[in-house]
Amino acid sequence: MRIVIAEDDALLREGLTHLLRAEGMEVTSAVDNPDDLLSALAADRPDVAVVDVRMPPTYRDEGLRAAVQARRQWPGLAVLVLSAHVEESYATDLLADGAGGVGYLLKERVGKVADFLDALERVAAGGTAMDPEVVGQLLVRRRADDPLQRLTPREREVLGLMAEGHSNATIGGLLVISDGAVHKHIGNIFTKLGLPTTDAGHRRVLAVLAYLKA
Amino acid sequence: MIGRQWREAWRFLAFTMVVGFQAVAALVAMIGCVAMVVTLPLLPHVVRFARRLAAGERDRVGRFLATTIPPPPEGTSAGVAEVATNPHDRRDAQWLAFQGTVGLVAGSVAIASPAGLVQNLFIAAFWPFIPDAATTVDTPVESWAGAGVAVLIGVVYGLLGVFFVRPLARWWARTSAARLAPPKRTLTERLAEVTATRAAALEAHGAELRRIERNLHDGTQNRLVAVVMHLGMVERALTRNPAAALPMVATAQKAATDALAELREVVRAIYPPVLVDRGLTGAVASLVGHCAIPCTLDEHPIPRLPAAVEAAAYFVVAEGLTNAVKHSGADRITVGLRTENGALVVEITDNGHGGADQAHGSGLLGIRGRVAAFDGTTTIDSPPGGPTVLRVDIPAGP
Repeated sequence: MRIVIAEDDALLREGLTHLLRAEGMEVTSAVDNPDDLLSALAADRPDVAVVDVRMPPTYRDEGLRAAVQARRQWPGLAVLVLSAHVEESYATDLLADGAGGVGYLLKERVGKVADFLDALERVAAGGTAMDPEVVGQLLVRRRADDPLQRLTPREREVLGLMAEGHSNATIGGLLVISDGAVHKHIGNIFTKLGLPTTDAGHRRVLAVLAYLKA
Repeated sequence: MIGRQWREAWRFLAFTMVVGFQAVAALVAMIGCVAMVVTLPLLPHVVRFARRLAAGERDRVGRFLATTIPPPPEGTSAGVAEVATNPHDRRDAQWLAFQGTVGLVAGSVAIASPAGLVQNLFIAAFWPFIPDAATTVDTPVESWAGAGVAVLIGVVYGLLGVFFVRPLARWWARTSAARLAPPKRTLTERLAEVTATRAAALEAHGAELRRIERNLHDGTQNRLVAVVMHLGMVERALTRNPAAALPMVATAQKAATDALAELREVVRAIYPPVLVDRGLTGAVASLVGHCAIPCTLDEHPIPRLPAAVEAAAYFVVAEGLTNAVKHSGADRITVGLRTENGALVVEITDNGHGGADQAHGSGLLGIRGRVAAFDGTTTIDSPPGGPTVLRVDIPAGP
């Protein structure tokens, strides 16, 4: 997998490069500002860009803006955005173009290397990786007459994992239940929420996130 | 000799009488409006007339004294409830009463002096043709001696005018300037208020610093110590028994992750990162989007404000929305964000059952304290049955 990294903190940039190379990935460029990111993307044409939200010159959301711009410029470019804090509205910005290959994770998730690599691969393959905290933010702000109240605790868990972008197989593995059980839970969730059944993958994530944001 | 200054004084005093009549009319109309309940809706019109009269007089008196008389602060509408509670309207009403009595008498001197002179001289000249002729002070004029008295009385009127009109005009101008200007006392009150809110702000700031220190010291720091300790244990274990290192690494990782989660909370409580990234409007839009009750943002372009003001406004909206969701029973909320006269105005309106109790709602107390620290004001209008409007004004300009 060919990767471009944009992260302004030197220690984190080196660490991330080291970690990915140790796992057999090819880090083609590691840059520290949005302009260099865009030129590196143009030159390297990587499979995934791993981008920090806050970068020079103003240390606001330059990285996020650059990521959105890059995806407009190179449709299909997979982007995994990392940040020290997550904000649900930023996820909305990233998902706005409706295309797959989007990730938005807290920086510290890198520490769970296996999970991080799984998310990276999912994003590179056109899937989604939403941080559990983003999904958590979406799940708490609900009104009293919410259809979500009708979900069983297990179904809520499955819904959360779906929103994070996990496949049926991974969900089954994480909750230690069979594929058939996962399938049944998902069917119940879609019926209870009145959502049209969607095939697995990015479109399902979009449908679920759109429902949670409504 | 009667000069230009005298003429100005005379004109000023004569017009004072005109304003006096208008003041009497306004006062009578005001009392009439309040006395007859059905006419109460007309009160705002009368109040607006009185405000205009006072404003015009401020201008006129200011010109005469060659100074500027500061107007009362603007802003309140002329609705019945506002008028009843507005101290400046009360002061205007007092001025109306003063202008309609003393002002009328003082102004009449300007008219009486030339009128008395002319009238008495006329009677002195033409008394044989006027039946029951008398001077203006009621002495009969039935002989030329009587006519001489009338001339004398006329001259006294004229001299009164010459000598009294100027000092009287100046005295009147100064007296009404003092009544038209916002009371001096409020400056002292303002100072007391500012001192009190400053003390409260310092106290709140101190409490905030202690809270942050405690969170960082007891939470985050200890977690990081645990990380370093476990990494030290890992270092030792790797040389002796590498298999034992693995659970220690996991513990260190967990401790570091907890430290990060706590740091995020602390940072969010100090200054929400979304404010840095998106500005106040963007950050509030995010709060509005999160709200459990359908909520819309009525936004107007606002400039970037001091960071502390933006943070205060952000927390006000956050607490206001939490309150509305918890207590109002509303199914629609609107958040308004705009600047008015250099102040940031936050308005949270919900269509719930009203009756918000500011004495007991700790959320409202928190908002009030936060806003007072910036010398701002918090008003809540929450009649039983709703709707509830929470309005916060925070001065943000220079």
